Amino acid sequence: MISALHNIGMTDGMITSSIITIVLSILAIVAGRHLRIVPSGLQNAVEMAVEGLLNFFSDIMGRKLARQYLPLVGTLFIYILCCNYSGLLPGAGEINGLSAPTNSINCTAAMAITVFIMTQVAGIKAARGPKYYLHLFKPVAFIAPLMAIEMLVRPLSLSLRLYGNVLGEETATHVFFQLIPIGVPVIMQALSILMGLIQALVFSLLTAIYLSEACETEELEAHE
Amino acid sequence: MTGLIAVAAALAIGIAAFGSALGQGNVASKALEGMARQPEAAGMLRTNMILALAFIESLSIYALVIAFLLAAKI
Repeated sequence: MISALHNIGMTDGMITSSIITIVLSILAIVAGRHLRIVPSGLQNAVEMAVEGLLNFFSDIMGRKLARQYLPLVGTLFIYILCCNYSGLLPGAGEINGLSAPTNSINCTAAMAITVFIMTQVAGIKAARGPKYYLHLFKPVAFIAPLMAIEMLVRPLSLSLRLYGNVLGEETATHVFFQLIPIGVPVIMQALSILMGLIQALVFSLLTAIYLSEACETEELEAHE
Repeated sequence: MTGLIAVAAALAIGIAAFGSALGQGNVASKALEGMARQPEAAGMLRTNMILALAFIESLSIYALVIAFLLAAKI
C-alpha cells in the first residue's frame, strides 16, 4: 500500500504527516464529542493542554488576540511538535512511510507561507483596509524597501529555520551513528527531544509575535 | 575542484557556527544574569531568550543549508 502511495508521488514525509493529521483530528473529535461542564478523562486532559497553550500565548499577544488566533498558533505548535517527534520513532527515515515531515523544506515552507498570508489578512482586518501597508513607511518613508524586504524574508527564514534544525540534527545523529554506533546516538536523541520542543515553540512563538505586530500597528495609530 | 568545494562547505558552517556560538553565549550569559538578579522575571526572560537564540541560530542555519547545497555538489 505504501509503495502504491509512493508511485503517485507521495513521499515518506507526506505519509507521516497525513497520519499525524488523522490521529490529531480523531483525538480532537473524540475529546470534543460529549462536552460536559465538569470535564473528566480525555476532555480534561485536552482542556488542560489547550488552556496551557492559551495562557502561554496570552503572555505574548494579549488575551484577546490569543483567543482569536489560538486555533492557528496552537495547531501549529501541536502539529510541529508531533512532526518533530515522529522523527524519533524507532526506524524513522529507514522504514518505508515513516520520516519526520519537517525534515523537508516543502512541509515547513507550506506552513510558513500560511503564516505569511494569515499575517497579512490579520493586519488588513485590524486596520480595516489596505492602509495596513502604511506601516511600512512608519518611522521614515525611505526605509520602506527595507521594511518590505524584511516582511517578505520572514517566511523564508521561518521555513529554513525549522527545516535546517531538524535536518541538521538528523544528519548529525546519522554521522555519529556511523562513527560510534553505541551510546553516542542516544545522547543526540535526547538532545533531539529538547530541540523538537524548542523548534515547535519558536515557530509558534514567532507566528504569535508576527500576528500581534500586524494587529498592533493600527491600534497604536488609533490611540494617537 | 571537488576538494575546494569540500573546504568551502566546511568553512561555511565552521565560521557561521563560530559567530553564532559567540552570540548565543552572550545572550545566555546575560539572560542568566538577569534571572539570577530578578527571579520573578525569569519566565519572561526565558521566553525572550529562546526567541533571541532562535534568531541568532537561524543565521548559522542559513550557512548549514549552504553547506548542504555545496556538499551535494561534491
